[in-house]
Amino acid sequence: MSTINLNGTAHHPRNQSTATVAYLSFARSIMLIARREFRDALSSKWFLLYTIAFTTLAIGVSFMSLAGSGEHGFAGFGKTAAGLLNLIMLVVPLMALTAGAGTIAGERERGTLLYLLAQPLSRTELLLGKYVGLAIALICSLCIGFGLSAGLLAWRAGGVGAGSFLMLVVFTSVLALSMLALGVLISVQSRRAGVATGIALFVWLGLVFLSDLGLMAGTLLFKLRVQEVFALAIINPLQAFKMNVIINLNASLDVLGPVGMYASQEYGATLPWLLTGVIVLWCVLPLSIATLIFRKRGGI
Amino acid sequence: MRLPVISILATLMLTVPCAAGAPASEIQRLIDEATPGSVIEPSPGIYEGSLRITKSITLDGQGKVTIDAGGEGSVIEIAAEHVTLRGLIITGSDKSVSGESAGIKANTGPVTIENNRITDVYFGIDLKQSPGSIIRNNTIIGKELELGRRGDGIRLWWSHACIIEHNTILNSRDMVFWYSEDLMIQNNAVRESRYGLHFMYSHNTTVRENHLTGNSVGIYLMYSNSIHLLENQIDNNRGTSGYGIGLKDCDDIKVVSNLLAANRVGIYIDNSPSSADSTGLIHANKIAFNEVGLLATPNTHDNTIYDNGFIENEEQVSVHGGGQLFLNQFAGPDRGNFWSDYNGFDRDHDGLGEFAYEPRSLFRTMLAREPNLRLFVHSPAQQAIELTARAFPELDPDPMLSDPKPLVLPPRFELDTIEAGPGGFRMGILSIGLILSSLFVMIRLTVEREISAHPGAPRHD
Amino acid sequence: MIEARHVTKKFKRVRAVDDLSFDLQAGGSLALWGSNGAGKTTLIRCLLGVFPAKGTIRLNGIDVSKKGKHARAMIGYVPQELAFHDDAKLGSAIRFFAKLRRVDVRQAAQSLALVGLSGHESKRVRDLSGGMKQRLALAIALIADPPIIVLDEPTSNLDSSGRGEVVDTLLRLRKQGKTMIFASHRPDEVITLADQVLVMEQGRLVQQTTPEVLWPSRSSIRSLRLFIEQGDEHHAAEILREGGFAVNHANIGLTVAIEQHRKAEPMNHLAARGIIVRDFELLRDVQQDDEPEHPVRTEPMSEVLR
Repeated sequence: MSTINLNGTAHHPRNQSTATVAYLSFARSIMLIARREFRDALSSKWFLLYTIAFTTLAIGVSFMSLAGSGEHGFAGFGKTAAGLLNLIMLVVPLMALTAGAGTIAGERERGTLLYLLAQPLSRTELLLGKYVGLAIALICSLCIGFGLSAGLLAWRAGGVGAGSFLMLVVFTSVLALSMLALGVLISVQSRRAGVATGIALFVWLGLVFLSDLGLMAGTLLFKLRVQEVFALAIINPLQAFKMNVIINLNASLDVLGPVGMYASQEYGATLPWLLTGVIVLWCVLPLSIATLIFRKRGGI
Repeated sequence: MRLPVISILATLMLTVPCAAGAPASEIQRLIDEATPGSVIEPSPGIYEGSLRITKSITLDGQGKVTIDAGGEGSVIEIAAEHVTLRGLIITGSDKSVSGESAGIKANTGPVTIENNRITDVYFGIDLKQSPGSIIRNNTIIGKELELGRRGDGIRLWWSHACIIEHNTILNSRDMVFWYSEDLMIQNNAVRESRYGLHFMYSHNTTVRENHLTGNSVGIYLMYSNSIHLLENQIDNNRGTSGYGIGLKDCDDIKVVSNLLAANRVGIYIDNSPSSADSTGLIHANKIAFNEVGLLATPNTHDNTIYDNGFIENEEQVSVHGGGQLFLNQFAGPDRGNFWSDYNGFDRDHDGLGEFAYEPRSLFRTMLAREPNLRLFVHSPAQQAIELTARAFPELDPDPMLSDPKPLVLPPRFELDTIEAGPGGFRMGILSIGLILSSLFVMIRLTVEREISAHPGAPRHD
Repeated sequence: MIEARHVTKKFKRVRAVDDLSFDLQAGGSLALWGSNGAGKTTLIRCLLGVFPAKGTIRLNGIDVSKKGKHARAMIGYVPQELAFHDDAKLGSAIRFFAKLRRVDVRQAAQSLALVGLSGHESKRVRDLSGGMKQRLALAIALIADPPIIVLDEPTSNLDSSGRGEVVDTLLRLRKQGKTMIFASHRPDEVITLADQVLVMEQGRLVQQTTPEVLWPSRSSIRSLRLFIEQGDEHHAAEILREGGFAVNHANIGLTVAIEQHRKAEPMNHLAARGIIVRDFELLRDVQQDDEPEHPVRTEPMSEVLR
């Protein structure tokens, strides 16, 4: 990458004013797009809706679970964590998948994609910029929800420790990043925003319910061994996320029965890294594939 | 103790050197020369080597005498009755599994072992055929080996009528009682070990006010009858089995007024009582925040379970391998248990719900059949299964138990002392931090500076 | 400056651009002439590197397919209608593009002034009139003073006064020495702005010529639609082209751009070569050659464009 100096090309004599095109760095382009995407997200309805919904639910779950444990002054793994975990696994993938699914397909449908692509901007920059912008918006949305429910927990002084809660925020953010990447992959493939959202909802259904139910059925029918159940389960980033959160709260996966104990014993201290690796892979892989498709397929 | 010989004491003080690293043989010589019943107080210091006590004496280190066997054999072996070891720091036994070496080993009773600190040993205190012994106020810290390679903190073998109280045990295997009856076990604390208290064929004992936390299992009774577990605090025992209290083939067990919190399983009942004419009692325990409150094998019978508080256990009651618990009574003569997930009401204000507590859960039923499915707890899929069962009543399983007189308010418990974490302040900081940082990012990225402040970047002419 | 070799772009089985080659010197201005569906827009998108195409396109020696971003940095692009986020304010929109091209945001203000949009910075894009949107698009295209301007029917959505303004601005740029490629339906624009014309039909280059050859006289160009037996249409178009007429082989009939006082000549030209013109109509406006349902046969001559 170097400066394109139009004057320097000797075999193309030019008669116009000298124009030097500055070196258009990758990172700055991405941040520029990210910023625009972030601003668009902030002023959009979905952001407001998601933030309000997540915050309300998070506070509600914290409040309800505190009602049980607070008066007894003790909580183990605790209903708060369990309730939040359930909520996160249900809502966060939905938020991130649909947010991601709308992004490219929406621009495509409104016809604004062409105009951006006609600018000195590579497709990778555009895609990653949009991803980064949406990611920041999503994480902000989550932080507001978590922040307010942490406030409630602090006020009622119960349950989970601050360190574990912070890790929960971190893990949830990483989960949101992976689901967002998946959403972007869906978006790149879709002509229309509506179709993309539909596919995203289906993927959500698959990840949240169908794959678990399928694996349960498999476990019952084929009497799968623990290592098989474990290996199949962690393919699902939501399961990997759940296990990671539980390890963080609990230091071990024994809550999850024989399969969890097998995992804890077999992988020990590397287990959190293994699980984080799975989620990061779910982030990197869809994003890379989306970038490749977006670049290779061309067009708008 | 009955014959304190002052003159001998005075001589001893003169002859034993104070320097560190003295040979233990110097103490051994004093013991060998002492008359039965005398009190030996070695000069403060570290003595290297092991001791063998063959007469009824008292060895009192007053907390300043260390005996270090340097990793060979047992540190102190007692081969006489009426020996008292007090105020010693005992360390460095052989740690091989085959040697069964110990910090203190006794083969003849009764002995008194009190106020000692025993570290870096295979077994801590190992008493065989020493009835009437007292083990009091000792601290025993094993090495941090894997559970299987550790020795027991305290082991009694054929030693009836012993008193074991106010001891603290850390990083050991078990505090274990073999064939030892009529014991008094109270106010001990066992942490980070395998089984906090382990009974094998040991009957007629009261276990009171012990604190068992962070072990694989809190209290495990096996083939032991007439044990009374009273007011013990048993929490965070989460090993492979992870029972707060485990009962295997035991008759006439009373579990009363214990606090069982945050264990994997609060109480595990495996074929107890095992005799047809025997009964069990589980009364007034607080069983809270465990993964499973009460886990029982389906053949479990004749337990009376009432006045307990089953509070926010992930699973209040589970049948190991599936089935039902109708051979047990989940209510006393006039009242049952408190169940935090009971959603009935008390119309006549007698403190009892108007209809029976009969938990049913399709997912739990599936869990009992296939334990591997526990992997899927805390997930939306679990909720989906429960919802499906509600929607299609033919899928709804039979209840595994029935408490006809559920309490609508939790009973008052003797033990209710675990405080909430002091997380409030830090949580508040975290809350404010999260909100402020997201607001900061929002403002920082949204508000646009009118004139770009990147010197050098815009190169345009 | 611009060098296109064997550019081919297929959509499924349709060749939108078919083996098209041309050169354009720096400072030159090239009009893409052809009916709707002739492939003008597709060719422009290929030039921008938005569509990957077979063949090579080089801008100042830079291969568009390999270094699209660098190539696009040399191009200011004006679409048919600006499609940008409607919620954005005009000022923030242009600042965004200024930053994208790494020019000082002051340049944005200058660029707005150039197209006469100063003082409208706080308006939202959705509230702009068509003409203002198009001028904004032009301002964005000019922001980094790129050597090449590419326009895709920049005046098609404008009324005549808006059109005049845009054409004037483009003329100024032309005089400054910008290299220009634009698609157009309008002979007057082509005559005013272009020094070369690529006549395209169904993706193929059928004629590379100059406006002077197509329209010798700069005044009074009208669109004449000729209806010929279906099978002869293609042949007739070739004959007319050979005769120096500007012809579009549209969906219905042939559309010929012709000076006002020579309207019969294409028909005579065809008749002399044995092709019979069944019918003809004079289109109300050259722009509407794709809307034959409402032909207006007689029109006052005063409506002739500048």
